[in-house]
Amino acid sequence: MKKILLFLIPLGAFIAVTGFLLKGLYSEPRYEVSVSVSKPIPDFELPDVMDPKKLYTKETFLGQKTLLNVWGVWCVTCAVELPYLTELRKQGVRIVGLYYQLNNDPDFDQKPLPQLQWEIRQMLGKHGNPYQFNMFDKDRSYGMDLGVTGAPETFLIDELGVVKVHHVGDLNTRVWKEKFSMYFGES
Amino acid sequence: MIAELGHFSLVLALLVSMLMSIYPLWGAHTGNQMYMAMARPLSVGLFLFTAIAFACLTYSFVTDDFTLSYVAHNSNSLLPIQYKYTAVWGGHEGSFLLWVLMFSGWTFAVSLFSKAIPQEMVARVLGILGVVAVGFYLFIIIASNPFESLLPFYPVDGRDLNPLLQDIGMIIHPPMLYMGYVGFSVAFAFALAALLSGQLDSVWARWARPWTQAAWAFLSIGIALGSWWAYYELGWGGWWFWDPVENASFMPWLIGTALLHSLAVTEKRKLFKSWTILLAIAAFSLSLLGTFLVRSGILISVHSFASDPERGLFILALLVTVIGGSLLLYGLRASQLKSVGRYGLVSREVMLFGNNVLLSAATLVVLLGTLLPLVHKELGMGSISIGEPFFNQMFTVLIVPFAFLMGVGPLSRWKKQNLVDLRNQLVMAFIIAILGALAINYSYDSLATITLLGSFLSIWIAVSTIFEILQRTGNQFSLSSLGKLSRSHWGMVLGHLGFAISIMGIAVTSHFTTEMEVRMSEGETVALSGYNFTFKGIVSIEGQNYSGHAGIVDIHKDGDFVSSLRAEKRFYSVQRSTMTEAGIDSNLSRDLFVALGEQLKDGSWALRLYVKPLVTWIWIGAFIMAFGAFLSMADKRYRLSKFATRKKAVLDNNAVPQGVPQQ
Repeated sequence: MKKILLFLIPLGAFIAVTGFLLKGLYSEPRYEVSVSVSKPIPDFELPDVMDPKKLYTKETFLGQKTLLNVWGVWCVTCAVELPYLTELRKQGVRIVGLYYQLNNDPDFDQKPLPQLQWEIRQMLGKHGNPYQFNMFDKDRSYGMDLGVTGAPETFLIDELGVVKVHHVGDLNTRVWKEKFSMYFGES
Repeated sequence: MIAELGHFSLVLALLVSMLMSIYPLWGAHTGNQMYMAMARPLSVGLFLFTAIAFACLTYSFVTDDFTLSYVAHNSNSLLPIQYKYTAVWGGHEGSFLLWVLMFSGWTFAVSLFSKAIPQEMVARVLGILGVVAVGFYLFIIIASNPFESLLPFYPVDGRDLNPLLQDIGMIIHPPMLYMGYVGFSVAFAFALAALLSGQLDSVWARWARPWTQAAWAFLSIGIALGSWWAYYELGWGGWWFWDPVENASFMPWLIGTALLHSLAVTEKRKLFKSWTILLAIAAFSLSLLGTFLVRSGILISVHSFASDPERGLFILALLVTVIGGSLLLYGLRASQLKSVGRYGLVSREVMLFGNNVLLSAATLVVLLGTLLPLVHKELGMGSISIGEPFFNQMFTVLIVPFAFLMGVGPLSRWKKQNLVDLRNQLVMAFIIAILGALAINYSYDSLATITLLGSFLSIWIAVSTIFEILQRTGNQFSLSSLGKLSRSHWGMVLGHLGFAISIMGIAVTSHFTTEMEVRMSEGETVALSGYNFTFKGIVSIEGQNYSGHAGIVDIHKDGDFVSSLRAEKRFYSVQRSTMTEAGIDSNLSRDLFVALGEQLKDGSWALRLYVKPLVTWIWIGAFIMAFGAFLSMADKRYRLSKFATRKKAVLDNNAVPQGVPQQ
């Protein structure tokens, strides 16, 4: 009997793994957690896309108004809004990027990080760099916490870390006037 | 119409698999000859109907039948014709169809090449494959049917095949990989059949060995092709990224390697019986687990497949049934396995046991590295990521004892080896390896610990493998004495030499690669590692479904022309994505690699240049390893090398009582 128990160890190990797999399969309700306007931004700890050793937390938003811009090199519209965002940065608006991974076919490889970094440098070099820094949302999980549906999207986060505006689509002069400018003391 | 035929044929295949999962097993249980005899014709039917379904899907691609959802998502009328054929496995549903096609092919092959095996065993093996098949076919029909129709509202044109996959490497990589994954099902079925029958001698190991070698060889080629593809197609010059998809294929390979060696011990020495059975179960289980991880979307939290957890749940249920069931059977039956035979502390048995322990540890490292982020998250400890440094460090630690054993193991005798007898050879190998490693580092003008270690281990393995041949031939290096070595012996030799070559490639290329990111205008020249790269300008290119431009770079060394490379940047208009096609000049000593970036504001272009020494060795080594496995399979004692020899083989096998090892 003792011997049978010994040979059942692999089965036990497998059952434990299955438990986690099953749980993991259904832990996607983050889909529903959409951040809404006038709520504090969800907690996070995200690496810098250029230097993954550097980590950012919620603290980084405290103390000053910040635009959080969700983008990616694969996103055509993002390329369109980059020059305008760069314009805003020159006017003193603090913009932080949330780098959003492309929906990849999981049967095949993800882009290696160095390649991604290189492409980012290329794109920002070409269209202008509005960002103080870029946080890397590798598996898009923080994007889900925020309720991001695609890119580009822009959040306005106030000094206390509360989301004031959630804009889906590109940011341009018209949108800025309608949705954002009032928070920056412009008419 | 054709698509409906394919769908219908797939359903027929499911029905056949159901019959196959019942009658042969029942027949073997009750001793009913007729039921057992059904196994072979059923496996023919399974293969035939699956092949018809596959052919129908291919036809739908070639004729641009966009009423099929799968075709509409993965093809386009402008897609070049050769890629219409390969787009069949360019997405989830079709690649799973390819998977079941491979599976039924293996089943068919077992029924074809098992004439020498008792009918009861064949019935059990095919029956177990039938049980697994029911799961696969249910999954493809219910949860990922490639024949799903978009009627009545279908698009005029398709969304095109992912440009990453429009490439020769991708045409052969998935079929090879799947051949390997699915191929382990045969060893698995043999192991389970042995457990079921209670016939727990080691005969099954002899039958299962050539199948395992075949699966392992295909898997090696598949992994090597995938790595090679990533190297030149992603345009980044990297060849292994430790991402979950790669890990999913690497785990069965590691355990499969352990299984190959353990089967040898079980066959020749009737030892490690229960361990070998566990490895056979594990190799196929890890193949299934890899499929689950990749296709359920559990690791990459959001993407196209994950939108419906039904699929993940289905595969998980399949895993639980197949893996859980076989482990339960193992737990109940394996305790009856008794390994007889004695061996000393220093013997080939112990060395091979060490090989198994190290390979299992390596598999565990990869498994943990892949699953830990998930477990961590589910335990509510937040997200962590385990990256390259972890894997690289662990593998550097594991490979040292592994390579040591690889040198000593083949030189040792079964049962008992006196180490003193090997003293001369080992000391020689050690000295040659040290000197060789130093010489290699010296030739690159610098000293790196990791390269020193890697090249040392590589030469150590190679030299001791050669010593082993000398030992076998009585120190005669003549053609006739070399010809006397059996094919399976050559298989082992090539497997080990191939491994040594890969290790050398990895060791040298990972440290001595030089790279440079430059902006260049026309006519400008930069020097990198003694090569002068001259940017000759940009030309426009126009493909069938893409347009773009190519940078021409001429390379000279010491004033002599070396090569002219074309680094392309293609824009695929339907998928709206840009692809890099690197220009590569490859030879045995180095690769010159040029990738084109964006045009900069001042009209110059960004370029990435690499000189990667010995990088092709990595894949050459893998192909030699695979060739070794094929050679071993063709060994006389397995009698399945050729159709022509089959009849003779049956006769011979009748003359020799079953299960008597010939060595």
